Amino acid sequence: MPRTMNPWFPEKAIAPQRLSPGSNEHTRIEVTAQPLPDIARLRRLAARVKVNATDMVNIQGFGYLGQALSAGDVFAALFGGGFIRPGHDRFVLSPGHYAVVLYAVAAELGYIEREHLESYGLDGAVLEAISTERTPFVDITCGSLAQGLSGAIGLALASRLAGDDRHAYVFMSDGEMQEGQTWEAAMFAAHHRLEGLTVVIDANDSQVDGPVSSITTIEPIADKWRAFGWQVEEVDGHDMGALVHALAKPSAAKPKVIVARTHILGRLESIPSTVDGHFIKLDADLAAAVVAELESTNA
Amino acid sequence: MHKPPYDVVLKPYGKALVELAQRRADVFCLGADLTRQTETDLIRDQMPERFISVGMAEANMIGIAGGMARAGHTVFVNSFGVFCTRRCYDQIAMAVAYPNLNVKIVGFMPGISSPGGPSHQAIDDVAMMRALPNMTVVDLADATEISQAVAAVAEHHGPVYLRLKRGEIPKIFDDTHRFSLTRAQVLMSGVEVCIVASGMMVPAALAAGQALTDCGVKTTVINAPVIKPLDCSTIVTQARRARVVVTAENHSTIGGLGSAVAEALAEAAVGVPLRRVGLRDVFAESGSREYLFEKYRLGVKDIVDAAWSQVGDDRPRPQVREIQSLPGTYAPV
Repeated sequence: MPRTMNPWFPEKAIAPQRLSPGSNEHTRIEVTAQPLPDIARLRRLAARVKVNATDMVNIQGFGYLGQALSAGDVFAALFGGGFIRPGHDRFVLSPGHYAVVLYAVAAELGYIEREHLESYGLDGAVLEAISTERTPFVDITCGSLAQGLSGAIGLALASRLAGDDRHAYVFMSDGEMQEGQTWEAAMFAAHHRLEGLTVVIDANDSQVDGPVSSITTIEPIADKWRAFGWQVEEVDGHDMGALVHALAKPSAAKPKVIVARTHILGRLESIPSTVDGHFIKLDADLAAAVVAELESTNA
Repeated sequence: MHKPPYDVVLKPYGKALVELAQRRADVFCLGADLTRQTETDLIRDQMPERFISVGMAEANMIGIAGGMARAGHTVFVNSFGVFCTRRCYDQIAMAVAYPNLNVKIVGFMPGISSPGGPSHQAIDDVAMMRALPNMTVVDLADATEISQAVAAVAEHHGPVYLRLKRGEIPKIFDDTHRFSLTRAQVLMSGVEVCIVASGMMVPAALAAGQALTDCGVKTTVINAPVIKPLDCSTIVTQARRARVVVTAENHSTIGGLGSAVAEALAEAAVGVPLRRVGLRDVFAESGSREYLFEKYRLGVKDIVDAAWSQVGDDRPRPQVREIQSLPGTYAPV
């Protein structure tokens, strides 16, 4: 996995395998009374999600495939692992351009019609490339970035007032941490000890202008959230076992954030490393190679 | 309708909000470090379970309000008008207006009623809120209307921007007055001049209407508290028979009441000259209300002059008396 030296925190260079204390010992932690989901099944689900996304982006030959390759494992864990109870728990998709992953997993689990995937992003399509109020299966979505966490806090407060156990999950991208609203919201959630709130950050070090770490550093991500009063889990976002354990770990009267260290091209070898992962241009040959690699490694 | 000088009351909004919250379990109130100044100390103290101060974080406050509204709450968010519009416009657009949620944004200290200079003077809030689809925009400075409007905006499905005077609130209308979210009211009727006013300019519009009438210039005065959706039908009907239409707003003349009336008149092909009294595309400065209203020409005299510029003839020019200062002027915060 390529790594970028952080010029401002060289001693804290981004090291996906160097996890916060304790969280790399997940196999020995008693996390929950419920049996954990089958990791091999979730890996297969993640591969199918990424294949679906490849097919969808291939319709127009360009789009947010990188986001699906970096976050496909996270979405498979969240939705396939039984953490988000559809129709009960809340799901906030903060970066709207990740809608492709949401559609891909929702179709795979039977929550939306698979046929809709075939018109993804086309004029008049149900599934828009950047999610909107019409987007199925999310409680809140934001094309304008970094607004999701505040909305999820509203949902979590409402659950607290109602005395119900609806958990609010927020999927966030790492670039959103450059927006001030993220930290207004982070401060508020910790102050009010919103334990019914879980954020998963896709820390893929990718934004429009290039690597996040080369533009305005957001590191050290885990330390920032910890300093703001959150329970922090930092995991390899392509390690399904680690993701599942981090999601299952109970939080102690605090909101929880999972920093999923990922790669914008999902560590696939079939995509040249020179490709702009944030907005991938795809031709039929490359799409076929990506699908072949995904199918061969996760059969 | 009462006659000037008007009695003043304190915290009509804060009291109405408590009454509403006592009746309706879905009502919740958020503030951003201006609790006493936005009269929400009343709900904080009487119903603390319905109130959260989020601190100085307007963007987050709007987002939280949107989330709570999606979960079924009717959320009142409170700050000074300048902070709860300019500072969080994208959040209002995306987290509240676009999903058409029951969030009522309450902005105090309109226009140059703030002594705090441009940082505290909401001179463009109506323009910004009016441009957002789904948003209803209400500008009030009368205690009777404010008391009724709180329940009315809560009943209305969708987002509302409620622009309120801060501090001592005059009682212009008596208790028989009915605030309406759909109808403007003709307060005085006359065929020569048609004045349309909102919020803090209503007393000046009435005084100007009286001064003109006293000089034989028959004048209509329309109270248009709801700037969007504007009651075009009432305004166009009155404007058609006038020789000049004058709008009066404590706001920039760009994008607010004057613009809304101009659009209504043009689309209805009314063809009557329009004069807009308001801030003429300028940022103001610090100063007392009296000083700023005189300097930036938001007085009774300015409304009369605007009318006289079209209907003035050899009749005696109207003598005007400015609205006297209310007691207890307030600090910037």
